[in-house]
Amino acid sequence: MQHAMFRRVAAGGAVAALTFAGVGAATMSPAYAASSKVSVVHGIPDTPVDVYVNGKKTLDNFKPGDVAGPLTLPEGEYDIALTKPGEAVDKAILKVDDAEVPGGANISLAAHLSADGKPQITPFVNDVSKVGAGKARLIVRHTAAAPAVDVRAGGKPVFEGLTNPKEAKADVAAGTVKADVVLAGTDTVAIGPADLNLKEGTATIVYAIGSAEAKNLDLVAQTISGLHSAPGGVPSGTGGQAGTGVDTWWYVLAGAGVLLLVGGGARVATARAGRR
Amino acid sequence: MTVRNRGALAAMAAGVAALTVATLVACGSQPAEDVGADEAAALASATPSATPAATPTGDASVPVNAGTLPADGKAVPPVRLSIPPIKVTASVNPVGINERTNEFEVPPSVDQVGWYRYGPGLEADAGSVVIAGHVDSAEQGKGAFFRLRELDRGDTFTATGADGKDRRYRVVAREEYTKTKIPLERYFARDGSPRLTLITCGGPFDPKTRHYRDNIVVTAVPA
Repeated sequence: MQHAMFRRVAAGGAVAALTFAGVGAATMSPAYAASSKVSVVHGIPDTPVDVYVNGKKTLDNFKPGDVAGPLTLPEGEYDIALTKPGEAVDKAILKVDDAEVPGGANISLAAHLSADGKPQITPFVNDVSKVGAGKARLIVRHTAAAPAVDVRAGGKPVFEGLTNPKEAKADVAAGTVKADVVLAGTDTVAIGPADLNLKEGTATIVYAIGSAEAKNLDLVAQTISGLHSAPGGVPSGTGGQAGTGVDTWWYVLAGAGVLLLVGGGARVATARAGRR
Repeated sequence: MTVRNRGALAAMAAGVAALTVATLVACGSQPAEDVGADEAAALASATPSATPAATPTGDASVPVNAGTLPADGKAVPPVRLSIPPIKVTASVNPVGINERTNEFEVPPSVDQVGWYRYGPGLEADAGSVVIAGHVDSAEQGKGAFFRLRELDRGDTFTATGADGKDRRYRVVAREEYTKTKIPLERYFARDGSPRLTLITCGGPFDPKTRHYRDNIVVTAVPA
């Protein structure tokens, strides 16, 4: 389904990245079982737009660097068009017809520049599975007119050779990392460094946007929360002073009591029987 | 009555005595009964808070946010806990997860308790603020939460935040769960009514593994 969507987008020649984020099954209400959550990310510099979905204006004067949504859209096919603010939908600067929105997914539609600088729309399916306790998910998407890049955290490459319009992701320890983007295999910094606060139990999606040639490379971030897990346990005592229930000696005592009672009773009974 | 018979009767008497002692011990060792379990469950299933505020543009139903890099949260960590009914005053440390065990990192010092820093802080208007502490330790003796199981519905206590503000809470539930069955997702939930959850160990103690079988969970709401 994801592939079908990509093909359609490619056919439409769109250069914007819109993200449709699907709701996790656990948090979805039954009424929307076949719906998806869809976010829209604007990654084309200097180009505010109006966004039309199926001919209806859905976002007015949507600015570069902004993230809209999530919208809850029933499963189905959608026509998406971007126009200059105030212009009619038939003068769209970017258009995707019959973009397929699968059911129960979390999707981001990114409006962005292709590697060679043309506007296009790329749909990404967001990984909204739970992260482990203490962890955060980092997803990086190359949606900039730039060559392959490496993403570094604390100076060390975490994702290497990422190309437009691909993503890389990892679940990492929650916390703040100093991240930058360098040209693949080099130390030439293209974006950053920037402090990334990766909040526990969330997915932080970072889009590299803009154009290397125009020197307006930048980052846009989208956060999806509610992906946390509970700790595996709460170990909070090793002393045994507060122990309830009974120890081994209790069973010995109770067992001895039963034996004495039954044994004694039997002897009394046999003695009485003998006298008769 | 023969000598043999007297011996048998004495054995029976000793048996009765042993069973009486065993029964008394067993009764005395029973944990206090759970209270307020339904209320604690209801708090967790309360309607989650609305999605974070956003600036609608165009269609009022679509929130639009600047895609800036996420900033540090502004949670208010609890720094001190005062529970007069069980004579507890403890400092609260922000703690996370033990990477080796994937378990709550309870502060090693038994007179301190730990706040789960990944969950809500005291300022939160939804979800469960979790503070856990040792009931005791083999090396250090009784812990701050040694008497946690004595808390009852209606007891009140105070949590002081890093912002200097005291916040009062009222106990609504006290539950005991086998550690393998405790619904931790409920107590570590980030949605539902605002509440404060205190957790320690309890139940039978296994001297071989040096672990308690159960967790004691006290649920409180803002008073």
